[in-house]
Amino acid sequence: MSKQPAPAGVAPGTPPVLQLRGIGKFFPGVIANKDVDLDVWPGEIHALLGENGAGKSTLMNVVTGIYQPEEGEIILDGYGQTFTSPQEAIRAGIGMVHQHFKLVQAFTVAENIHLGWDEAPRIASPAVMEARTREISERFGFPVRPDARVCDLSAGEQQRVEILRVLARKARLLIMDEPTAVLTPEETGELFRALRAFRAQGNAVIIISHKLDEVMEISDRVSILRGGRKVGTFNTADCNPSMLAATMVGRDIVRRNMRARPEGAAPIATDPVMQLRNVSVRDDRGVDTLRDVSLDLYGGEILGIAGVAGNGQRELTHVLTGLMARTSGEILLDGNLVDRADPALFVQAGVGHIPEDRLRSALAPSLSVTANMALREYPYPPIGTHGLYDAQAAGGLARDIAELAQVTIPDFAMPVRNLSGGNQQRLVARREIRIASRVLVAAYPARGLDIGAIATMLGYLTDLRDQGVAVVFISEDLEDLLNVSDRIGVMFHGRLMSVIDAEAADMATIGLLMGGRDATNTQSGAAQ
Amino acid sequence: MATRAFQRLPSAPAGRILVLRLAAIVLSLCIIAGVLALSGHSPVVLAELILRSTLGSRFGLEDLALFMCPLLLTGAAVTVCGTIGLWNIGAEGQFYAGAIAATGVALGLHGPAIMVLPVMTIAGILGGMAWIAVPTLARAYAGVNEIITTLLLNFIASLLTYYLTTGPWRDRISGAQVSTQRLSVSIPEMWGIVHWGFPVAIVIVIGLALVLSRTRWGYEIRIGGANPEAARYAGIPVRLRIISVMLLSGGLAGLAGMFEVAGTVHRLQGGMANNFGYLGIVVAVLARGSCLNVIPAALLMALILDSGIVMQTQQLSASVVLAITGLILFMIAIGDELAHYRPVAGATPKGKAS
Repeated sequence: MSKQPAPAGVAPGTPPVLQLRGIGKFFPGVIANKDVDLDVWPGEIHALLGENGAGKSTLMNVVTGIYQPEEGEIILDGYGQTFTSPQEAIRAGIGMVHQHFKLVQAFTVAENIHLGWDEAPRIASPAVMEARTREISERFGFPVRPDARVCDLSAGEQQRVEILRVLARKARLLIMDEPTAVLTPEETGELFRALRAFRAQGNAVIIISHKLDEVMEISDRVSILRGGRKVGTFNTADCNPSMLAATMVGRDIVRRNMRARPEGAAPIATDPVMQLRNVSVRDDRGVDTLRDVSLDLYGGEILGIAGVAGNGQRELTHVLTGLMARTSGEILLDGNLVDRADPALFVQAGVGHIPEDRLRSALAPSLSVTANMALREYPYPPIGTHGLYDAQAAGGLARDIAELAQVTIPDFAMPVRNLSGGNQQRLVARREIRIASRVLVAAYPARGLDIGAIATMLGYLTDLRDQGVAVVFISEDLEDLLNVSDRIGVMFHGRLMSVIDAEAADMATIGLLMGGRDATNTQSGAAQ
Repeated sequence: MATRAFQRLPSAPAGRILVLRLAAIVLSLCIIAGVLALSGHSPVVLAELILRSTLGSRFGLEDLALFMCPLLLTGAAVTVCGTIGLWNIGAEGQFYAGAIAATGVALGLHGPAIMVLPVMTIAGILGGMAWIAVPTLARAYAGVNEIITTLLLNFIASLLTYYLTTGPWRDRISGAQVSTQRLSVSIPEMWGIVHWGFPVAIVIVIGLALVLSRTRWGYEIRIGGANPEAARYAGIPVRLRIISVMLLSGGLAGLAGMFEVAGTVHRLQGGMANNFGYLGIVVAVLARGSCLNVIPAALLMALILDSGIVMQTQQLSASVVLAITGLILFMIAIGDELAHYRPVAGATPKGKAS
């Protein structure tokens, strides 16, 4: 795949702007990249697609000199290059716009453009810098207000400043990490127009994304990474979103049926515990992140949620646990309307929540292990009685949780951040399972765990199911989803595309749904 | 880079901090002694004098307790606020507001002390709360940085005190400058000149330590300070907790002002807060977020203040005293930071980066 000929429109003999040959980058215990070959030609927009942790960002950090590769070579315009720092990469014409902007908020646009730029005039008045900035802005077709302070700009405008910063330094290869994540649809349209103009001047763009339709819209070719290796490079014209989604996640799936219930397990309840009725969420950018989702959760059943990350899973999780208010629609708990988004209400109703970013939002890092384990049960006896907090009882609870989670803790009074990330995750999972008497919402509970720990985690979920709890299992791992779930819902663009029977589900169908194709023949198994 | 002789611990053990702080104090005393000796003072004579007039005599101990009383309360005010992750820089202003409110009551309400004092106490607490009310609401509902709002209100409170003590409330009896007349009621004394405010302040600090560690409210405050996102996730009404903590903090500083007016100074005077509000921040930093630690921290600060006064009687200028205070706190800060490091076993002591 890597030995593709130059695309049409490139003069014969022109070398690729960037060639990667056998790039390998390793971190302790992790292969971030291995044997990655990549050609990027002048005048192309090249999309880099992959799941979280597929190695996209590491690869780009290698290209921009932030990391040095352990293996392989970087060839620019036919000449081998090694970058020991990002500055060298910039000098060689490679510029990167990060997902989280690296601008000085208190400076003006002009000051940010000139910051750390060796071509900036030695003595520069604001007027001079603003004039230069205006000229650059017009030359590249990214309108900015040179005298505006960055903190007063919208995300889209800040991004334009970032891009100009890079372009002003004569970048010929522009790398953009998830550029549309913070943009409104209009801003995305503007960005794409500008990128096409940049391409038309014979420059190249690498765009990291996992929004399939945007990849389809903007890119000329797509390279897909999976598990740190490149799966292939395709002409976008030959692709469709479903095929891309399937390639992104599609490894050999070992189907093990974990749906079989043991003797005495609770049957699937007949009445739903929780119901969503046409729930929509609009974020403060005015983007609909959840659209018209209707969903019934039944005790004793695992509902898997599949989908490419960023298609509304986070919002669904937050709506189901009371962390986010819906814009329209209804939520019913045991048939009763829930009129406000209040996490406490959901905890009281027995809804546990393993959040996606659990280390950041489910723990207080500087407080003790004990205090963290009490987070969900402190208002209730034995810990909380008459407004008091019984530290002794909290200690007992923490020991119980640690034992069930099989984490050995030398000292329960030490800050929880002293534990490894894996152990913190196990503790959070166990704490949430304890309170999940009705519903458990688990967002990517296996992420970051090793294989043995993943099996244990899936076992937790099936145990809960057997106790009659309704489990919502959000994952990007189709194998886990297919093995554990009774039903699988697929999310795309904030919409719940379809809920299908997991036993009858096949990869192709799910792939289609993940790519936004509402295949009519999959409706047979769908819930109403 | 491969071999480092020291490893940084994410959290320093309390024992190491204590040892290093003592070392820091001793070291700074040595430096001070050296400088004093070079400038022609005898460190030994001075040290003897300071010890005798602070810890070594009854009069000195009484003075220490009087200094500690406001420092305990302002230190607790800043510490409580810090527990939920906010900085109350305005204890100075809330101190004045409490003092003003208490004075207003004493000037306007005539009756037996048993009746007037409780009203003064409540007025002092409410005064402090009122002074932090605007920063509190701005913080809770608009996300306005409380450091700036509380700080700026200090100047207003201080100038308001000057206005009252030179204007409508000026002393018309003895003609004392920038002062009200002597208040007719005062907090009874329990030991020499030490009034009952001192033991009450100690009890309040201990009580706060218990409230923070042993109540649901305290637990919610601690979670809210350590990670607001986790607090929201756990269903804690963070905004209400911020409001209650900040009001409590203002009330404590206001009470300090009332104690000072009714127990120690017996008048409202311009400049009477004597930096107790700002020193409360120092006390809170020294206490490292623990209410119980506020007691020894306030003692240390009171010792420094008291020694400063003794030194000023020995023809050392006030700025020398300030420099000494700064040096001690500076060394303690270094000690605290060093407490995070421990030697790594097996590392070669002169290991060149390999």
